[in-house]
Amino acid sequence: MSMSVKFETYVDQACKTAEEFANIYYETMDKRRQILPKLYLDTATLIWNGNVVMGLDALNNFFATLPSSDFQVTLLDCQPVHEQATQSQSTVLVVTSGTVKFDGNKEHYFNQNFLLTAQTVLGSTVWKIASDCFRFQD
Amino acid sequence: MYPNEKKRGTNRHEESPSEENSLLQGRRKDGISSQGNINKMKDCVHTGSLLSKLQEDNETVEMRDVHENYKVRYSPYSFENKRNWKHHKKDQVQCTVYKDENSPEVEMGHDSEDEATASWYRVTIPCGRKSDKALLMKSIQSLCSVPFTPVDLHYERSRIQFFVQHSNTASALKNVSFKICSDESRKISIFVNPSDVPYSVQNKFRPEQMELLKLAMRKRYDVSHQALDLQRFRFDPDLLDCGVDMKLNQRSCMSATLKIIQENFPELLSLNLRNNKLYQLDSLITVVKMAPHVKILNLSKNELKSAWELEKVKELQLEELWLEGNPFCSTFSDERAYVSAIQKCFPKLLYLDGRKLPTPIQVDTDSPQFMQSCKENLREPKPIKDRVLQFLQEYYLIYDYGDRYGLLSAYHDEACFSLTVPLNPSDQDPSSFYTNGQLLKYKKHDIVDCLRMLPKTQHDFSSFGVVIRYQTETMLCFSVNGKFKLSHNCFSYSLYIVNDQLLVRDSHSDEVESAFAMTMFMPHMNSNPILSLDQQKMVHTFSTQSGMKLEWSQKCLEDNEWNYTKAAEIFCMLQNIGKIPKEFFRPMS
Repeated sequence: MSMSVKFETYVDQACKTAEEFANIYYETMDKRRQILPKLYLDTATLIWNGNVVMGLDALNNFFATLPSSDFQVTLLDCQPVHEQATQSQSTVLVVTSGTVKFDGNKEHYFNQNFLLTAQTVLGSTVWKIASDCFRFQD
Repeated sequence: MYPNEKKRGTNRHEESPSEENSLLQGRRKDGISSQGNINKMKDCVHTGSLLSKLQEDNETVEMRDVHENYKVRYSPYSFENKRNWKHHKKDQVQCTVYKDENSPEVEMGHDSEDEATASWYRVTIPCGRKSDKALLMKSIQSLCSVPFTPVDLHYERSRIQFFVQHSNTASALKNVSFKICSDESRKISIFVNPSDVPYSVQNKFRPEQMELLKLAMRKRYDVSHQALDLQRFRFDPDLLDCGVDMKLNQRSCMSATLKIIQENFPELLSLNLRNNKLYQLDSLITVVKMAPHVKILNLSKNELKSAWELEKVKELQLEELWLEGNPFCSTFSDERAYVSAIQKCFPKLLYLDGRKLPTPIQVDTDSPQFMQSCKENLREPKPIKDRVLQFLQEYYLIYDYGDRYGLLSAYHDEACFSLTVPLNPSDQDPSSFYTNGQLLKYKKHDIVDCLRMLPKTQHDFSSFGVVIRYQTETMLCFSVNGKFKLSHNCFSYSLYIVNDQLLVRDSHSDEVESAFAMTMFMPHMNSNPILSLDQQKMVHTFSTQSGMKLEWSQKCLEDNEWNYTKAAEIFCMLQNIGKIPKEFFRPMS
């Protein structure tokens, strides 16, 4: 299977980003929950087991009320999103899966997928979550 | 006062004062002037045998204050030049310490580790002359845990001497002592001591030469771009005229050049060192101090043999780098590995060998709140959801019951697909953490081939939960979550899958769950293209003649570029081989 060099470099970049991002996201989620909303775009949407959480305020509230978590990520997958779909804005699809235990609840399998998009702020570029879909799997 | 550590025979590395005395004696004995020719000195034999005696006695030799001995040592041994035997510039107590093999540090006084002023160490190998110099150096290099480049490697009397920088190199070299056997099966010892900057590294240019150098460089400096072009600097006509031999691959020349840059062009942005026969970049280690703003570096067409050389300049915040034409470039298996290796060294690099690299991006947890908001088209959710559901129905119909070839038209030409299946916790393999591109299917034919190999399934539509996650003018992202069991048509899609990620998990019960995330590319938001009057007529006629429903007649005609005859032929052919499903036809009245 031949891939163009360009595509390969996108894949590499996506993989690097995904791994870094997943580490940061779950670390922040477990240990520094209050700054988790910073990883999201202002206009991002979180769908948590079917519940829609849209906008920064809602996200802030949501994460504040969510009990403390302990995530164990066992699976990570990612794909670069085709530029035609994103109008050349770098986007990566990241999928994670594993187990999570929220305080006061039993352990669940979860899977989560993110659409990450590159945002340029004051000259530097960072990845932000544009869309997040989280589900328990049992 | 001195750490009294266990003495290990294999790690003895100290230049004991007795050696000095014996040498002094030797010298006095022969009465040969220190200015004389080394080769004529006969006392090397004495030295050798005395040293070997010392080696045998190593168990009893105590640690000394090396500093005390400097006075004794400072005698005009140096017949070549005064490089080696000056007083150590720092008047401190130096103590050589027996070190554990595992301990990486060595206390050698204060070592600031500042690149420009990092300490130099003189490495001495007694009786080294007896061994083949190249072979010996090679053995040392291979055993030494820290890679190093010997500076000023030379013979002095019967010994081999060279210089290295950095305390960790020094200690690593000490550890190599006694690990190599010479031809006479005698273990070779290596002595390492702090020293002054080796002569060759010191500036050896006279002031007037520096002035000429400065003028030559001024001519090559482009003020508007803050760029200095030192390509083939040795053959610069001005320098050749003045007789200044500027071999940039020699430390002294490179450090002189860097000094001039620091003094005259501190704002330097771009440095071109192409075609200067650079074998290593040791001499450029100080560049980050002398020219801290350099963002563009051209090292192409030199003689760099390893990508490791770049580590020496990796503190530069480079945006553009040229490396092609160096021997190490061809050592990579493919372009991807090459780019990857360079990016590891310079993560912020934008251009390599003139080609743009994908923008390096980091995840930032402390970014400010205000941000460019993404363009989002607020459309009525219902029609979109309906379309998505319809799409999914058609997709899974083919997936479950049809030949999955039919899915070809659902995928974009350059779509990606990946499938992940979590393993049982008992056989968790950390390497399954990543698909890393190899298990990623790219391009629709490969994807469909892969899908066809997956087992037959039956999706339970009632269990489907579809969530529309993200929407722009050109993109729709939705997630499908549901259950499925493990048991040529052409569909017209105006939605094409560009990214399809399938995650399958075994649940405790027999049923298997799956979650899909698909991003779709929508080339047109208008599902019904406006047909011209002629086209409409054609569709009606075709429908009457073929018996197919209007939309399928239209589809057939569209597929055949509105060539009626051709469409009819295709229709007949497909009909004959029974490829057209009944639902395409109008109900028989």
